[in-house]
Amino acid sequence: MDEEIRAAARRVAEAGESGLRPARDPVNLPAIRDWLEAIGDTNPVYEREGLAPPAMVQVWTMPGLRPAALDPADPLRAMSTVLDEAGFTSVVATNCEQTYHRYLRDGERPEVRSRLTDVTGPKRTALGEGWFVTTESTWFVGAEPVASMRFRVLKFRPGTAAPPAEPGTALRPVISPDSAYFWAGTAVGELRLQRCGECGALRHPPGPACPRCGATKPEYAVASGTGRIHSFVVHRHPPLPGRRLPVVVALVDLEEGVRMVGELRGVDPADVRVGAAVRVDFVRLDDEVTLPAWRPDSPVETVLPTWELAVTPTVVISTALATRDFQDVHHDRDAAVRRGGKDIFLNILTTTGLVQRYVTDWAGPEVTLRGMDIRLGAPCHAYDTLTFTGRARVAADGERVVSVSGRTAGGEHVAATVRVAS
Amino acid sequence: MIARSAAIAGIGATEFSKDSGRSELRLAVEAVRAALDDAGLRPSDVQGMVTFTMDGNAEVAVARELGVGELSFLSRIAYGGGAACAVVQQAVLAVAAGLAEVVVCYRALNERSGRRFGRAQAQAGTTSADVDAGWHYPMGLATPAAMVAMVAQRYLHDYGASTDDFGRVAVAARRHAATNPHAWFHGRPITLDDHRASRWIADPLRLLDCCQESDGAVALVVTSAERARDLRQPPAVVCAAAQGSGPDQYVMTSYYRDEVAALPEMGVVARQLWRQSGYTPSDVRTAVLYDHFTPYVLMQLEELGFCGRGEARHLVADGGIELGGRLPVNPHGGQLGEAYIHGMNGIAEAVRQVRGTAVNPVPGDGPVLVTAGTGVPTSGLVLAGD
Repeated sequence: MDEEIRAAARRVAEAGESGLRPARDPVNLPAIRDWLEAIGDTNPVYEREGLAPPAMVQVWTMPGLRPAALDPADPLRAMSTVLDEAGFTSVVATNCEQTYHRYLRDGERPEVRSRLTDVTGPKRTALGEGWFVTTESTWFVGAEPVASMRFRVLKFRPGTAAPPAEPGTALRPVISPDSAYFWAGTAVGELRLQRCGECGALRHPPGPACPRCGATKPEYAVASGTGRIHSFVVHRHPPLPGRRLPVVVALVDLEEGVRMVGELRGVDPADVRVGAAVRVDFVRLDDEVTLPAWRPDSPVETVLPTWELAVTPTVVISTALATRDFQDVHHDRDAAVRRGGKDIFLNILTTTGLVQRYVTDWAGPEVTLRGMDIRLGAPCHAYDTLTFTGRARVAADGERVVSVSGRTAGGEHVAATVRVAS
Repeated sequence: MIARSAAIAGIGATEFSKDSGRSELRLAVEAVRAALDDAGLRPSDVQGMVTFTMDGNAEVAVARELGVGELSFLSRIAYGGGAACAVVQQAVLAVAAGLAEVVVCYRALNERSGRRFGRAQAQAGTTSADVDAGWHYPMGLATPAAMVAMVAQRYLHDYGASTDDFGRVAVAARRHAATNPHAWFHGRPITLDDHRASRWIADPLRLLDCCQESDGAVALVVTSAERARDLRQPPAVVCAAAQGSGPDQYVMTSYYRDEVAALPEMGVVARQLWRQSGYTPSDVRTAVLYDHFTPYVLMQLEELGFCGRGEARHLVADGGIELGGRLPVNPHGGQLGEAYIHGMNGIAEAVRQVRGTAVNPVPGDGPVLVTAGTGVPTSGLVLAGD
């Protein structure tokens, strides 16, 4: 069966670009207002200027509730049919990378063209056994390309999910009287280094006695929290309790002259280098344990205010409808449960819209977004609280790059990178 | 001085498999019985027993099953595979001190079908080792491969080596295992391209940089060199036996020394081995180096004095550590190719090389070097014919 799927993938890929599929309706203010209302985005610029929010680009060409005719040339549809027939009937979007050449204007009628770029599988995922299907789409107004998107979905076999990792199974440190000061520090956002109360020598990991002078008078100093990578590991296998892989772990030379191990977060494993500057971060496991971790130390970085969104069923359903996504898992709880979920959950178009809202609420209504890379993790179900955090830095070309993380109690729902024009 | 006072007079092993289908105790008993048969001794001749702290079989349980009577020497060595040569050293010490005349060393494990060491395990105790683990495990550094990868990454950075240099160690091991009928990978050599294509486990380590997982047992019989001469097999005389721990030593995570890409604990072992035995690295016929992960084979070659620091990649180039090369390493296939019996199968191979009964014999009559687990307090032996 795997070979048949691969053969079908080759056929669809070789067919190349689909024909142009026009939006059902032109870009219009009523649809924009419905979308803004559902997303909760109060940015006045769209209505005032007659512009469509960039994250809506996919909405205009969604096939709708009852697609008039199946377009056999639509590669995602074609590949989905093959996978449906092979039993991989459930679908979840995992990645969406959008680039906006310009915003769509009221009255324009975009058309979209797609091609299949990759089919990978079968893979064991947290949701179940499945195949990742990647397509690339370009939206045109007339002959002008206005936006492009790489889109990846996981088509999986319902009921094959791995048993969920139990919360609290993450590996925890054994805390002794000699190390308690360290963990008390991380809990309050301090990186504490043992300092000998006699000779002043700094040391990590700590111990009850000073190897230099022999004194048993341990005290501590608070580290600046900056350092450079001495070495690192990308852990890919085997599974780690309570962790999503890969995990990058770095051994860091702290400015104070001692070394410390911690997870390196917010990086692409391929970009990690010995010698790179990092800064401490704190990852709370629970009331008792906060782990020290590292993240790249960008010279100019701004922390965005945290935003919490109570994801009610109304939010899930109104945004699904406003993004013209009629997949049952976004509005029908029984169907969502039947397909292996615990409740209805946000669709990726909405997550994209929420990320856009979070960034523009912070950056101001007049900014122009160049693109968004969205990577979905744990689903965000009805009754979850979705908490957004973000950090912005200025890239070499003057663009602002905003890293956004949206988390629920179930883990990271979305990791996004948003490019904001200078 | 203990040098040349004792010898390994018998070796025994079970088959090496992925699922032995029997208890670790039974494996231990089978291996010890085979080693005693090999030496031409009876269970009633045994006065001492030594094993690893990690071994699940009490000395008294093994003795009971074999019908060994009284024991006058019982000992265990800690630090995982670092114990392999140290258990022989314990036996030599007991023999040299007159505490026991015949001492059996054993290690039995269902490491593949039972508890697998490569998995991430939670620390539950309150020992100093558990506290040490707390600086690494919760941060995501929770498997042996990842802990070694941290050192390997720095090694690549410091010395300009490449992951191909790691691959050459695996290729050599699998070439040797391919002609060893006792090896799990008998008849299954690999190429450097196979290594390059194997999946990442913990970058910069690929699957083929990690040794296999095995079920099995190995036992050794140690007695005085004098008595060994009267037994069934030609003695493998213990010319040197050493243990070593380095400054600021941790178990697998000695990351807080000035130099991360080094194994100073093996340097401690090496200096003693050369001093006790009177040999130098150039005398060595073949080296059986502990190879749970390929990068540590390169670093051992440097610490033992076979080449300068950072130069092992030149030694392993062009088949340098393969049969017929400058220094054949692990002619049985090592733990990468034969089996992972916590280093004890390497000692058995060294004995066979000394006896001239190895499946891939290395010509010459020079001494054979054996090392134990790396990244931990470790040990080593130099064996030679009488």
